[in-house]
Amino acid sequence: MNIASHLDKIDRFEKLRARLDTMGDFELWFWAAMNAGTNAVNAALHHAGATVADDVFPTQPGVYLVPGKDGALEPAFRAPGDVLHVGRPKIESKLPTDVTEMMLAMEVIEHHRDPCIRGERDATPEIAAECAQALAKVLALFSQRMSTPGKAWKP
Amino acid sequence: MEALDHRQRAERIERSIAKCGDADHEMKIEGAMLAGTHWVNFILHRMGVTGANLDVMHSYMLTVNELRKYSVADAEMMAAIAEIEDIRPAHVRGNVPGGPSAADRALLLLATLRGKAQKLFD
Repeated sequence: MNIASHLDKIDRFEKLRARLDTMGDFELWFWAAMNAGTNAVNAALHHAGATVADDVFPTQPGVYLVPGKDGALEPAFRAPGDVLHVGRPKIESKLPTDVTEMMLAMEVIEHHRDPCIRGERDATPEIAAECAQALAKVLALFSQRMSTPGKAWKP
Repeated sequence: MEALDHRQRAERIERSIAKCGDADHEMKIEGAMLAGTHWVNFILHRMGVTGANLDVMHSYMLTVNELRKYSVADAEMMAAIAEIEDIRPAHVRGNVPGGPSAADRALLLLATLRGKAQKLFD
């Protein structure tokens, strides 16, 4: 997806997350955080030239919805664009240190995804705090990258 | 996960979805997927088709055989959760116009799943 759309989604996910009750709405609070972070990683990967910023949308690693001849979306193989989750798929090229740090921070969040959202582990304030801290790091690194003089992203 | 836990989680996620506004179509769709999957597992467990040790996570990750089996239990249920999943690439991961309408559709499908659970087991 293009970088402007990633930025728009991050902004809206963060506004929603701020309205949700961290523990009372944990599932959606967590999901908004994970989606905000994943969009930041995808935009950073595009900005770094590691993946393609195209308006095609992943259905599974390597498969994207792309506009067909009649304009309707249809699945097709494409070069790496947006990842579904950090590591899915793994980006094989050498990445800038800050992007790698963003991805490592996202793994902290992803670590809690299946146990707390799909599984039987109850979320705790400590887990929520760990996720919030990891996302803050992701977004801080992302903001720094996008505003670095000489490399700043402009719409 | 036990059936009752699925039900409680589905109901809690639905209460969170109610806090989403007009600009939050992605999280309405994701919430419908998360809560809908819990309703599917609740129904399958209560019907005795699957046990607490076998939860559906994403319909597209099921084997063909599993999908066929669960569709025997309730084909409309499996079609509903699959349609919610199919909405996600374009409107959650993508920026295709029509996100709010897609979210309305996902929530309608979620209501179908909730209604099935309530009709069968309340």
